[in-house]
Amino acid sequence: MAVRETFDVCVIGTGAGGGVMLQELTRAGFSVVALERGPQLEASQFMSDDELAFVIRDQVFSPDQIETWRPDEATPAVRGHYNMIAHCVGGSITHWAAWSWRFRPDEFKVLSSDGPLAGASLADWPVDYAELEPWYQRAEWELGVSGSAGANPFEGPRKKGYPNPAHPPRATTSHVRRIAGKLGYTAFPVPMAINSRPYEGRPRCMYGGACQQYGCPIHAKATTFSIHVPRALATGRLDLRPNARATEIRLGEDGRARSVRYLDGDGKEHEVRARRIVVSAGTLGTPHLLLMSKSGAFPQGLANSSGQVGRHLTFHHFAAVHFTVEGETRAFTGLEAQAAIDDLHPSDPKRGFIRGGVVADANALMKQPLAWALQGLGGQGRGWGADFKRRLRDFPRTVPLAAILEDLPMESNRVDLDPDVVDDQGLPAPRITHRQHRNDVAMNRWFTARMLEMADAAGAREKWESISPLTVAEEGAAMPGSVHLHGTSRMGDDPTTSVVDRWCRSHDVPNLWIVDCGVFPTSGGYNPTLTLLAMAYRAADRMIGEAKRQNA
Amino acid sequence: MSGLTRRELLAGATVYGGAALLALHWPRAAAAAKESATPLVLSAHEWRTLDAVAARIVPSDDGSPGGREAGCVNFIDKALAHEDAATRPSYTTGLRGLDVVAKRRHDRTFVELDEEKQDAILAALQDGQADGWPGDAGPSPDFFETLRSHTLIGFLADPKYGGNRDFVGWKHVGYPGPSHARGGYTADQMLGKAPIRAVWDEEI
Repeated sequence: MAVRETFDVCVIGTGAGGGVMLQELTRAGFSVVALERGPQLEASQFMSDDELAFVIRDQVFSPDQIETWRPDEATPAVRGHYNMIAHCVGGSITHWAAWSWRFRPDEFKVLSSDGPLAGASLADWPVDYAELEPWYQRAEWELGVSGSAGANPFEGPRKKGYPNPAHPPRATTSHVRRIAGKLGYTAFPVPMAINSRPYEGRPRCMYGGACQQYGCPIHAKATTFSIHVPRALATGRLDLRPNARATEIRLGEDGRARSVRYLDGDGKEHEVRARRIVVSAGTLGTPHLLLMSKSGAFPQGLANSSGQVGRHLTFHHFAAVHFTVEGETRAFTGLEAQAAIDDLHPSDPKRGFIRGGVVADANALMKQPLAWALQGLGGQGRGWGADFKRRLRDFPRTVPLAAILEDLPMESNRVDLDPDVVDDQGLPAPRITHRQHRNDVAMNRWFTARMLEMADAAGAREKWESISPLTVAEEGAAMPGSVHLHGTSRMGDDPTTSVVDRWCRSHDVPNLWIVDCGVFPTSGGYNPTLTLLAMAYRAADRMIGEAKRQNA
Repeated sequence: MSGLTRRELLAGATVYGGAALLALHWPRAAAAAKESATPLVLSAHEWRTLDAVAARIVPSDDGSPGGREAGCVNFIDKALAHEDAATRPSYTTGLRGLDVVAKRRHDRTFVELDEEKQDAILAALQDGQADGWPGDAGPSPDFFETLRSHTLIGFLADPKYGGNRDFVGWKHVGYPGPSHARGGYTADQMLGKAPIRAVWDEEI
């Protein structure tokens, strides 16, 4: 296999983490090759918001994704398609809903503030909010986040406001406000990385309601697909290779990562050499690649002397209550979520569990009719017949409430290589072993009860739980997958208990970085992407600074 | 598996991750289904049986169109011919099983029964209480969930897939159709203060 040239950096994956690295590194003068498993899509393809194709069949973003899942090691793993991941240039941020939170200061210090707790592998992040604050600001201004600074009383101190004003409300917003007024909470606009006015060459949002699991046809939604990858290409220093599936990172005799082997779209193998390697293949993809990269020096997988690669997988868990009201709610318009309440988020062990999460009028289970019929109405009644048909008509009069809840890390929750199942490229499927900690179960029940009370406060006519409690709120509950995946390449100061250091750099391999949500030691109770973006800007800045010092 | 049955997984969250309709194995897209009322894979008897099932999953007793009027059986036929081809064998055994249960109870095939008896059989399938359900057809609740999901999808998916005829499903739930190509919504439309022109050119 001929390896013709050596790049300064090879970045594996072009999503939120990899995309930022591509932009920052090429702008700093590095020659970069990007290996992206999926194809290059065009924004015009996103003019379709066909629910069957995009959501139910997942034909656009990850048609050939195969995973297996088991709740514990004693149970055989079941093959399926459990996680919502986008394999394309731009990665999963391409189909995000764009909620853009800063984690609160205590969310970086869960072990110190709430731990220890039996059965949970709680840990403090080696970074804190103050260190990340300027990088959060950088991410907010690059993405053009729309929000109302100071409106969330639970946010950490910020040095600068949002670049764009909050979005106009939809009919559901007034119900969230009424709930907050009656129960003494604060309602505020969800900060969204979607333009509320034209920003840096991208237009204002058209409020079509279908964001999560869709691409934005007009680039109003901020993504690495729309912003960072094009900017990296514009430098002339990016060699972008779509349909390039990394299969192995090879180690040199000096103990440094030397090259990456990959398969192209025709299944032909290639190898590319680089001085530095950044793995941004995602919380599933990164451990999968590292565990496939075995060598004499790393018999249990590259950068895995700690044995921690793939462990401490966290998913968030979600609670949802929907309720009907008089008049139209138009939950299928606007953004995925418009109004939030964060009063229930701060940790309070007196509630019978630690940690918490945010509540908002998220339309994920009812932005379109298939989600509504199959999910939003949940297991209401028998799910068919005259009564169910009548309930289908409540679509325009329903307010959705959802809670995004922090799940506790457990060492046994992990990703490894399935010994029995291979995908259509002949690679082992990622195998997920996952079940909920009892703290998750207690939290999910409690939040569900609070949201049912919120529905009453809003004058609900009918109210119901839209997520089966079996998956999250009963003893032995287990989730096979999620939209939010974190924790499989844990960040920490101690090389024996973590995979990367505070700069996202491997403890074991000095020229290897991991920049994706896998580095999160704990999941927080907010959508993760803005925190990943901030970490990526920070990691890139450090890498560039070090390289400049070495060359000086 | 830890008290979590396949049916319960199906009831779990697709959109938030997990579950994702395990009973329906989605292979790569083969071809777009054509709008056609001609059976591609179902036999005439299977077609009539499925049509009767769809008419009970989403009935039209209330005078408004249901699963039969929406052409759900046509949607399923096209899905089994293309994207959901892997599910075809479970339909062969499952629909045969439905008739076995019907004959054991009433000495008639499913389509020959009145609606009340059909409902009782479908409920028995859903509950795993259908006497005579053949062992080679897998658990009856799984097959019922496949029927239920496929019918609801046929009722509410884009008409280009062969169901939701004349937008009857979208009209029923009050969904105006995909939004991106129509340019999204105005601030007044988001607040419910202005009507929305649906893809079938009526205001809702």
